[in-house]
Amino acid sequence: MINPQELTQAALAAIAQAHTEDELAAIEVDYLGRKNGRVSNLLSGIGKLPSAERAVLGQAANEAKRAIEAALAGRRRELTDARLADLAETEAIDITFPGPALGRGRIHVLTQVQRQIESVLESLGYKVELGPEVETEWYNFEALNIPPGHPARESWDSFYFTPDLLLRAHTSPVQIRAMQRIKEPPIYIITPGRCYRRDPPEATRLPYFSQVEGLAVDKALTVGDMKGTLLYMIQSLYGEDRRVRVRPSYFPFTEPSFEFDVSCGICAGAGCKSCRYKGWLEVGGCGMVHPQVLRNGGIDPEKWNGYAWGFGIERMAMLKHDVEDIRLFYESDLRFLEQF
Amino acid sequence: MKISYEWLGDFVDLNGVTPKEAADVLTRLGVEVESLTAVDLSEIIVGRVIEQVKHPKSRTPLWIHQVDLGDRTEQIIAGAPNAVPGSLVPVALPGTTVPNGKLVKDLNIAGFSAKGMLCSAEELMLGEDHSGILILDAGKPGDPLTTVIPNQAVMDAEVTSNRPDCMGHMGVARELAAGLDRPMKVDFMPAFTGKADPPGRDLIDVSIDDPDLCSRYIGGAITGVKAGPSPKWIQRRLRACGVRPINNIVDITNYVLLEYAQPLHAFDLAKLSGGQVHVRRARAGEKLLCLDGIERELTPDMLVIADADKPVAIAGVIGGEETAVTEATTEVLLESATFNGPSVRQTARAFGLRTEASARFEKGLPAELALAGARRAAALIAELAGGAVHREWADVYPQPQEPVRIRLKPWLVDEVLGVHVPLDDSEAILVRLGFHVRVLGDGEWDVLPPVFRLDVTIPEDLVEEVGRVYGYDRVPPTLPGRRHDKWTPAVPSQGRRLDAARQVLTGAGFTETWNPALVSGRLLEQLRVGARALRVSNALSDDMDTLRTSLLPSLVNVVALNRDRGRTEVKVYEIAAAFLAHVGDKTTQQPEEPLRLGVVADAGTTAESGRKAFYAMKSVLDGCVRELGAPPGTYQRAAAEMFHPGRCAAVFLDARQLGYLGELHPSVLTGANVEGRLVAMEIDLEPVLDAAGVKRAQTLPRFPAIERDLAVVVEEHVAAGALLATIKEAGSDILDSALPFDEYRGAQVPEGHKSVAFALTFRSPERTLTDAEVDEVMAEIKLALQKKHSAGFRT
Ligand SMILES: [Zn+2]
Repeated sequence: MINPQELTQAALAAIAQAHTEDELAAIEVDYLGRKNGRVSNLLSGIGKLPSAERAVLGQAANEAKRAIEAALAGRRRELTDARLADLAETEAIDITFPGPALGRGRIHVLTQVQRQIESVLESLGYKVELGPEVETEWYNFEALNIPPGHPARESWDSFYFTPDLLLRAHTSPVQIRAMQRIKEPPIYIITPGRCYRRDPPEATRLPYFSQVEGLAVDKALTVGDMKGTLLYMIQSLYGEDRRVRVRPSYFPFTEPSFEFDVSCGICAGAGCKSCRYKGWLEVGGCGMVHPQVLRNGGIDPEKWNGYAWGFGIERMAMLKHDVEDIRLFYESDLRFLEQF
Repeated sequence: MKISYEWLGDFVDLNGVTPKEAADVLTRLGVEVESLTAVDLSEIIVGRVIEQVKHPKSRTPLWIHQVDLGDRTEQIIAGAPNAVPGSLVPVALPGTTVPNGKLVKDLNIAGFSAKGMLCSAEELMLGEDHSGILILDAGKPGDPLTTVIPNQAVMDAEVTSNRPDCMGHMGVARELAAGLDRPMKVDFMPAFTGKADPPGRDLIDVSIDDPDLCSRYIGGAITGVKAGPSPKWIQRRLRACGVRPINNIVDITNYVLLEYAQPLHAFDLAKLSGGQVHVRRARAGEKLLCLDGIERELTPDMLVIADADKPVAIAGVIGGEETAVTEATTEVLLESATFNGPSVRQTARAFGLRTEASARFEKGLPAELALAGARRAAALIAELAGGAVHREWADVYPQPQEPVRIRLKPWLVDEVLGVHVPLDDSEAILVRLGFHVRVLGDGEWDVLPPVFRLDVTIPEDLVEEVGRVYGYDRVPPTLPGRRHDKWTPAVPSQGRRLDAARQVLTGAGFTETWNPALVSGRLLEQLRVGARALRVSNALSDDMDTLRTSLLPSLVNVVALNRDRGRTEVKVYEIAAAFLAHVGDKTTQQPEEPLRLGVVADAGTTAESGRKAFYAMKSVLDGCVRELGAPPGTYQRAAAEMFHPGRCAAVFLDARQLGYLGELHPSVLTGANVEGRLVAMEIDLEPVLDAAGVKRAQTLPRFPAIERDLAVVVEEHVAAGALLATIKEAGSDILDSALPFDEYRGAQVPEGHKSVAFALTFRSPERTLTDAEVDEVMAEIKLALQKKHSAGFRT
């Protein structure tokens, strides 16, 4: 008969000398294993003993088991601590080495800027409207109060397919189509999309470009509302310190008409090289919708009025990301596109 | 347009207003001043040449002048000989920087000291002339030059197309006067000065044959003129505005054009055959030698001024050489007319000739301006060229300009602007701009715009007039908002929905591009995708003459461009419309504009790398379709333009064909100078968006799955897709999924055969399957494959 105390002593000694977790696991099986463990074996002949001895031996065996378990846990902790204490040396790596390149795919910077503009205006309740790029004379010009021979047509020199079919010079035709479809205000829409004008390509303009126009038709809208909307948009995109100024201008489809400028982000309006010492950067055009244009869209100008604005997405992206040549957006050089 | 600050001062008191301030006021009013060039002459003084001798030693010709500077005499050397004794000249003393930037120094030239510089017009930035010293026509030695020539400032301004009246200094000055709240010094309509006999009408007979193209023609007769150089101040102002002085008569017509915006023309009356002026359309075959020395052929849609025999001017564009005013001219016909804007523009365009006159007529000038301009010019010619203006001019004006009256509810100003403008202020502003305002009994206003403002026709126009002078800076920004009882619910925009596909592509390493929709029509023809292409009738160049019918040619060019620039792996895509013209009798309708996704990627150089790239592209498409929320597409072998005949699939969503996916045809790559292979796809996005639904959650499996691999040996032509269909059909409801994962040829596989490996997963939602059950279904699957595809099996 093996004495439980001796068994415990022997186990504790072995545990104290174990140097790896594997050794500990072997000791655990050796002493506490369910089938042939030495502590279990102690109890194997217990059935033949008188009940008093049986109880004493049972208790002693349980004590031995608990002591061995505690010792195992304690030694295991010591070994783990010792292992972890060395990590700084044993597993040190050169953290200055760069990570592997991620996939190189990028979303086009104009898509990104367009989406930012949409988000800002959607937060004011405007909805995106789309329309065809090949338009009819009526939608592109006449509905917008620009009849044939109108001197302002010079600003929208267009590409024609037939005398009646052309590439839209602005996304304003979408405004007319939206008014005709929605019929009854309130109308708060934005019209992003590609446009075309017959200007030879150069650093500041291209025969193809993209616009976002906005249109609000409601009761009792004012120039102040238009200014506030533009200011909200510009501050949301470029920061709260930016200012917006509207200057009288002329478009046949708005009355009054304006150009709108944004204060220069570099000099804050004082004048610098980047704003050609004007303090302001020209961004787009805007105005109160001409009553005839509302009528052409099927809206009664006696009941409703509206404001509209438009600007180039490229221009906004150039301002935001310091791009100096508009042609880069459409040249598709990955070295450029991957910067954004 | 160039605007001289000095000239504006003729019309409005600019005391205390700097050129910069004036420019800012004009910009705020809507005459945008793009740039301001100021010339400060206050450091230059007037000198009188006492003596001029040639430099005795200098090899380049130089002249030594003794110059009276009032309190002293200085010796000054110059390279031009025109400062003869007695001349008054501008002098810059040592230490002065002249306006063109040159610093004047104390010099010694070959033994002679030079104490300053005699200035040319160019050095003083008063014109282009640098051939000689600027000779002054007045001035006292020692006085600042500004006693003779005021400080100069020239603005370059952009005048909007609705304001032709501002294409002259008087109109701009009126804006400035309104902005500064100062009175105009000069009335719009000058007095008529003609007194000489006989009446002008007897000297010239004017008729308008085509009144649709000319609403008014005034012909003034002036006799006894003496042609010669015009006075310095006229020359200076013309030069400042970029107009070259010619002689006093021509200069005065140009001067009045720049002042009133009314183009004028002076004919040598003696050279007009029959003393007649006919304003008529040109006749076929007629020609005219123009003032610029070019002979132009006229067509019957062009309006000309003709005498009894022949055209003498192209109306509103340019005059003829033969009847031009010369030094010998003594009698002048002064033309001041109102020509039809579109007609003048068309004619000027046809000749590629844009003159100061045509630029103004194009905008549509008020007929009243013709009279004002003619009177002003006649008075100047009488004063400066000594002519006698005859009484009773020819003035053919069949339909006088109707005054427009506008009913204004004056509170509209506040309603539109969103700020309170006192009624008195509104009225004062309109009056300052030349409007007549009459307040009616009901509080509404009866407003009469000035005759030179044809652009003002509706109440909103008046609001704009008030607003721009009142100042839009004073309108506080607000956001609109009121209770709405009607709305449309928010739905994600198409662009935002497509961002799901963009994310898949980005994750797969593809970069989005935006390529021009206008491409070379010839390229589309070569690729045989030009059949439904729309061709631009007025293209800028032949590489941008046609709307693309496919996104792929642009994307292939993007690959070529980036390879040229040293990029090896190029994976790009674009989301944009393609344009497909209708065929048959609908060709004049708007084309179809399907929104497409085009993708192109490198596919290595071997048949095997191409094969792998093909399947990779399928994964990209499947991923996009999945993320857009649509059910998976199916693929069928197909042939399509631009694609490799053995490696092209048509993609279907249910029964709708979305487009094609495959390797690009080698000839497409050769044409674009791209080496190796490219894999591509182009699909319509709208059907995918239409098929999109909400993803529904599936119950997670509660019982374990049993997985089996199956290697099926079949003849080469049997498609994995066909085997898969058979497996799925035979697999009973416990076949959870089946996926081909490998294709093998070689040992154990007979010639002309291939082995396709499938991973099969069996699972029941109700119980744990037994191996025996799965064996049974596997046997059925094998049997079906054997029967249908003569398949064998590899273990
Ligand atoms: Zn700046």
